[in-house]
Amino acid sequence: MAADETKRVLIVDDNVGLAENIAEVLEMEGHETKVANTAAEGLSKATSWNQDIVITDYRLPDFSGAELVRRLKQLGLMVQAVVISAYTDDTTVEDARAAGAAFVPKPVDLTALGQLVRA
Amino acid sequence: VKTLSFLENVKIYVGFDDASSAALREAHAVVAPHFGPIIDDFYEAIEAHPGARAAITGGAAQIQRLKGTLMRWIDEVFLGPHDEAYFERRARIGRVHVQIDLPQVYMLTAMDRIRVQSLTALRNAQGLPAGSAERMITALHKILDIELAIMLETYREDLLAKNRTAERLATIGQFAAGIGHELRNPLGVVESSAFLLARRLEQLKISDPSLTKHLEKITVELHRSNKTITDLLELARNRPLKRRPFAADAFVAQALAAAQLPAGVEVTVAGAEGVVIDADFDQLQRVLANLLVNAGQAMNGQGRAWIDVRREGARAVIRVRDEGPGVPADLRGRIFEALFTTKAKGTGLGLALCRRIVGAHGGALTLEPSDAGAIFQVVIPDATDRAPG
Repeated sequence: MAADETKRVLIVDDNVGLAENIAEVLEMEGHETKVANTAAEGLSKATSWNQDIVITDYRLPDFSGAELVRRLKQLGLMVQAVVISAYTDDTTVEDARAAGAAFVPKPVDLTALGQLVRA
Repeated sequence: VKTLSFLENVKIYVGFDDASSAALREAHAVVAPHFGPIIDDFYEAIEAHPGARAAITGGAAQIQRLKGTLMRWIDEVFLGPHDEAYFERRARIGRVHVQIDLPQVYMLTAMDRIRVQSLTALRNAQGLPAGSAERMITALHKILDIELAIMLETYREDLLAKNRTAERLATIGQFAAGIGHELRNPLGVVESSAFLLARRLEQLKISDPSLTKHLEKITVELHRSNKTITDLLELARNRPLKRRPFAADAFVAQALAAAQLPAGVEVTVAGAEGVVIDADFDQLQRVLANLLVNAGQAMNGQGRAWIDVRREGARAVIRVRDEGPGVPADLRGRIFEALFTTKAKGTGLGLALCRRIVGAHGGALTLEPSDAGAIFQVVIPDATDRAPG
């Protein structure tokens, strides 16, 4: 675990602009970030980094954000997960929650996301 | 090659000709004295059958009016003239049956009561020339079969229109969802960039009214765009129902709040207290709010509207009435079609989706006949009362 208040956050979203902006917001708050644009890239970055939180989009080009969270948990690679998605249907939300992640709908409330990371 | 009209085609098929018309005119004198009892019997049968009675919402006064209409209708069956104009009038009557959701089965059985009683009158007639009664009976069978063919055709037309609506909705749904999600991505970037700009200005301790104003404008318009997309996706999505019984009064209050009617619209709620509705709360609320918004718009934001809720056995009935101009007669059949709108800024999605939501409950959303303003009626049968499928 990183020092108090400062967390290591891995952001996975194929919307490159949004992933970078989320990273920038969190960095402003003093967190360390890494960005990936596919689930596979996220998985690979996660195995070589000791992150505290993974924030991932649900719909990714290769496999789903919920699936990514499940795989990371199996590997014992992170403590906290947040799935974000513009798809707020029951299946998506339940899949994210079943994987053990919090669900945040898009458009993402960046203030709220910052609080979620700090908590 | 001349294409035969629907009527010509059916006439040829059943062998209805000028001689048939003449026989019916003769039969009129014989059967006319029985018209009164035939009509009374017709409406007694309807009142005895809940499925048929449900189509009549105006009580005794309406039945009285309908008896007058039926009298003219029977008169015309015998007197004709059985021309294209006759066919048009009959088709119009048929469409009314469709509009009030009279199940087809009652249209057929009701017609049969008229047939049986008229035939009895002809068979019992005394002193007719030899073979004359038989000719009249044959002609009566023919014209009533033509009547049935016309009525069935109007039901078929309605079914086709509903199919078109369903197809259009499915297409719009996919299209809207695709565009909505496509726009969400760039909007998400713009929104987060605006957020970062505001933060950066804060960090740099820059307080410039013009910068602040433009950032605010960007944020407000982003919010609006996001809301439009959310509404569209929400409307286009075909959600499975989550039915549960709930109190009608709290439900109506929430729908009223959701409708955000202008201050000039005064809404009177009647009957909701103590009534339980068994439905998907959120989706049905969308329906009621939509009807209220329409009522408000129809009155240009100024006027009175009434919500009437009642329970009729195993179903809940909600009526929304306004004192706007009402729906023009020629548009009544089309207002539930997707992409059809009478509003300058309408999308033509509202009523189509309302009808779909109500239909998913096994119920019916109808525009009721009215002399002033528009009356929309929502009928929601209880879940256990629904027919399978």
